[in-house]
Amino acid sequence: MTLLIPGGDRTLATHEIFMPALSSTMTEGKIVEWLKKPGDKVERGESVLVVESDKADMDVESFNEGFLAAVLMPAGGTAPVGETIALIVETEAEIAEVAAKAPAAPAAPATPAPAPAATAPAAQPAAAQPAVAPAPAAPVPVAAPAPVMAAAVSAPASTASGRVVASPRAKKLASQLGVALEALRGSGPHGRIQAEDVLAATGQPITVPRVAEGSGPAVAAAAAGGNGAAASAPAPAGQAFGRPGESVAFNTLQNAVNRNMVASLAVPCFRVGYTITTDKLDAFYKQVKGKGVTMTALLAKAVGVTLARHPQVNAGTSADGSAMAYPAAVNVAVAVAMEDGGLITPVLANADTTDLYSMARNWADLVARSRTKQLQPEEYTTGTFTLSNLGMFGVDRFDAILPPGTGAILAVAASRPTVVAGKDGSISVKRQMQVNLTADHRVIYGAQAAAFLKDLAQLIETNPESLAI
Amino acid sequence: MGPRLDAILFARAEPLAFERAWQAQQQLQQRLFRDPTGPDALMLLEHEPCFTLGRGSNPGFLRFDPADPPWPVHRIDRGGEVTHHLPGQLVLYPVLNLERHGADLHLYLRFLEQVVIDLLAGLGLAAGRLEGLTGVWLEGKKVAAIGVGAKRWISQHGLALNVSCPLEGFSQVVPCGIADRPVGRLVDWRPELSCAQVRPLLIEAFSRQFDLALRPPQPHEALEGW
Repeated sequence: MTLLIPGGDRTLATHEIFMPALSSTMTEGKIVEWLKKPGDKVERGESVLVVESDKADMDVESFNEGFLAAVLMPAGGTAPVGETIALIVETEAEIAEVAAKAPAAPAAPATPAPAPAATAPAAQPAAAQPAVAPAPAAPVPVAAPAPVMAAAVSAPASTASGRVVASPRAKKLASQLGVALEALRGSGPHGRIQAEDVLAATGQPITVPRVAEGSGPAVAAAAAGGNGAAASAPAPAGQAFGRPGESVAFNTLQNAVNRNMVASLAVPCFRVGYTITTDKLDAFYKQVKGKGVTMTALLAKAVGVTLARHPQVNAGTSADGSAMAYPAAVNVAVAVAMEDGGLITPVLANADTTDLYSMARNWADLVARSRTKQLQPEEYTTGTFTLSNLGMFGVDRFDAILPPGTGAILAVAASRPTVVAGKDGSISVKRQMQVNLTADHRVIYGAQAAAFLKDLAQLIETNPESLAI
Repeated sequence: MGPRLDAILFARAEPLAFERAWQAQQQLQQRLFRDPTGPDALMLLEHEPCFTLGRGSNPGFLRFDPADPPWPVHRIDRGGEVTHHLPGQLVLYPVLNLERHGADLHLYLRFLEQVVIDLLAGLGLAAGRLEGLTGVWLEGKKVAAIGVGAKRWISQHGLALNVSCPLEGFSQVVPCGIADRPVGRLVDWRPELSCAQVRPLLIEAFSRQFDLALRPPQPHEALEGW
């Protein structure tokens, strides 16, 4: 991102290096060693520091060429994931300027400022820059209920102060191509306008940038927690792609998703809800999560196994509307929101027969690659049934839009302790979640949807251990 | 689901000096930097006796004069504290593109532990984890030490499993910085075991855990100094 440092009209281009998330279960990292010292030249892709968490080290590289202007946390120190730990400037002349402006911890007002000698531009009025930002440019899995995605919430598009935040290359391109930067939405950290955004605005082909500074999996943040037990993180307010008064063009992915959503209006959908008790599932999840199994994998497996016995719910209407199409496999797609807008539905193929542990690994791999936009089309277009989960946000119920070509989508809400009356009048507290099936009524009738949900609930409530077999 | 991932196995029977294995790992890591879609690789070997320290290691865990060590000491780019390598201990160095394996270093450590736990389960030994103490533990003794490093999600270093090695050298240091827990070796439970017997089991457990189809290197994949 670029910090605008007051004092004159010039813009100082400063890139931040963040504490990366080496793991979804990592909340903070220890800086083992700075490989560069302030004033050193840094090449793009060059390692700047080493971060340690548990028995694992990770080199953190700079994604910008420039000079290390300030180290905000010394070696041996520990910083929360997403915190700014160093500043990179683009020219040697700016080093002194950044140092002189002495940042009032530009990125981390909530944490004690580092050594006083360190720099700290008392930048804008605080609101100008959203505070701690996570490693940008990654999708927020709308899926995995397990890790709470606190830090993955995107910062609102820069410029709360009304200034345009753009990379030097973007500015240059914009002036060459006659593009008004004010009208663009930046895809960079904190909404910074990148060269790619300028090119996109002119309809030129763009290459997807790699993940930005120190970005680990941006599914950072406090682990554990379980459904909805939202770990409080230094999350900025809600995500927005534009600022007040602005209108922002949909990006390519958003446009593609929009077309699908509008197409689904031609489908006669109906909805069926069910409440499922999850105490056993939650207990089983605790046993297997050490083996890398996520709640997403468990739910997808449960849905897959149940679909195998309810082929009608796995079916869809054929493209020309003339027939019921029964897919050869049970492929469970899981909706994942992309941080820069739009969503994608990576597919767990053969979810009924793939073993749980492979499925967990496959899911981790799919999410990792969707983050870097490396999925092959068959990896996100071949779902026969879709799962959408907002449980980690504490949502108690919602319904989903049916992806065209499939027969049903299941919206899964948070599991939460609920006072339950038994048939015998006894009162107890159980963890329960609501699920809501949206289905194409041409193929799936109420009785079939109900039978599917009843079997799914029975599996989750009585026999979740069987998912590992 | 899906075919197993293509991966190269570099296995070596005779003990190797630490530097040479490290250089080989770096060559493999460089290849994956250049082409992250290339095959993963796994090195299986035994080291000539030495000590290694992680990047953040505390030299206070050495119980000898660092100026006059009993064996060579290497400070290397992995996490964790000091450890000891020697013949009779199997060392596994996976050079993987972790973006294909979850892009999660804690998960990766757990996967490496699981490889050894599964291997030992096959020998009828119930090994496990100790919360907060990465490694594999059998009846309170640490039989496998783990320490990894990564750059751009390409891993190096890995795990060391004590099979039949003498344990005296471990008392020259505080292994992994843990003073109050002993180190163990498999022959104390299964006296008939040798490294040669455990090697194929370790490869099998590893390839299953990481879904790899391991094969020998092709001529153009040979490593310098290996």
